[in-house]
Amino acid sequence: MDELQLIEKAKQGDRKAMAELVKRNEQTVYNFAFKICRDRDKAENIMQETFLSMVKSLQQFESQSKLSTWLYRIVANHCLMEARKMQKRQFVTIDDDEELFDEKYIADWSSLPNKTTENEELRTILDASIQKLSPEYRIVFLLRDVEELSTEETAKITRLSVPAVKSRLHRARAFLRREISQALIR
Amino acid sequence: MNKKKEATCKEVMHHICESLGENLNSEKCSAIKAHLEKCSGCQNYFKTVELTIDFYKKYQVELPPDAHTKLMTFLDLNE
Repeated sequence: MDELQLIEKAKQGDRKAMAELVKRNEQTVYNFAFKICRDRDKAENIMQETFLSMVKSLQQFESQSKLSTWLYRIVANHCLMEARKMQKRQFVTIDDDEELFDEKYIADWSSLPNKTTENEELRTILDASIQKLSPEYRIVFLLRDVEELSTEETAKITRLSVPAVKSRLHRARAFLRREISQALIR
Repeated sequence: MNKKKEATCKEVMHHICESLGENLNSEKCSAIKAHLEKCSGCQNYFKTVELTIDFYKKYQVELPPDAHTKLMTFLDLNE
């Protein structure tokens, strides 16, 4: 059964269809939540809250868009709410373009073929780098580059304008690239 | 990257960041592509931005073994 049929059945109260929708999307939602919060327990809580929102509000879902896009928005909202609870935490500012694009950060990455994302050292660097980014930038980078949504879809989910998405995206990319470079040359 | 080209290289870096993953065949991009072909610094920059994105794409986590059961119980969707 395709997703649209399942959604229609679930809207009519079919619990098996609702369970199947959860099953088909749980890995995607968990992975995306983890990528934003970089914490397995938090990711599991956010996944539960996301599907609870889906179960409660599926009637409002309009089938013109993909369910996963709708779920991304719910995950992003939950993650931003979590982040606001931790307002005291300081994220780095990435407004200084001169610093972001400084040529001294053109490091030699030629040793990298030995480092796969299964490598713990690299995972630590990736986690540490992205955690310095404020969630507003992190979500844009993850939706657009990692989940490969279009700029327009990313704008819709984050309720930003397309130019604002592009601006955040290019700063986030440059920031992460610089952080990894710095970690590699240490 | 030599000093003479510094401003241009920065423009290229900005442009790479804005357009990576989008249409690099546009008229606007032809000058950028020409620059990229001859500037090793910008080539390196381009590759490392791509690699950065690739690292985060490949960094996946598996759902914990009991998470599905816990989720279904939480949602009261167990059969």
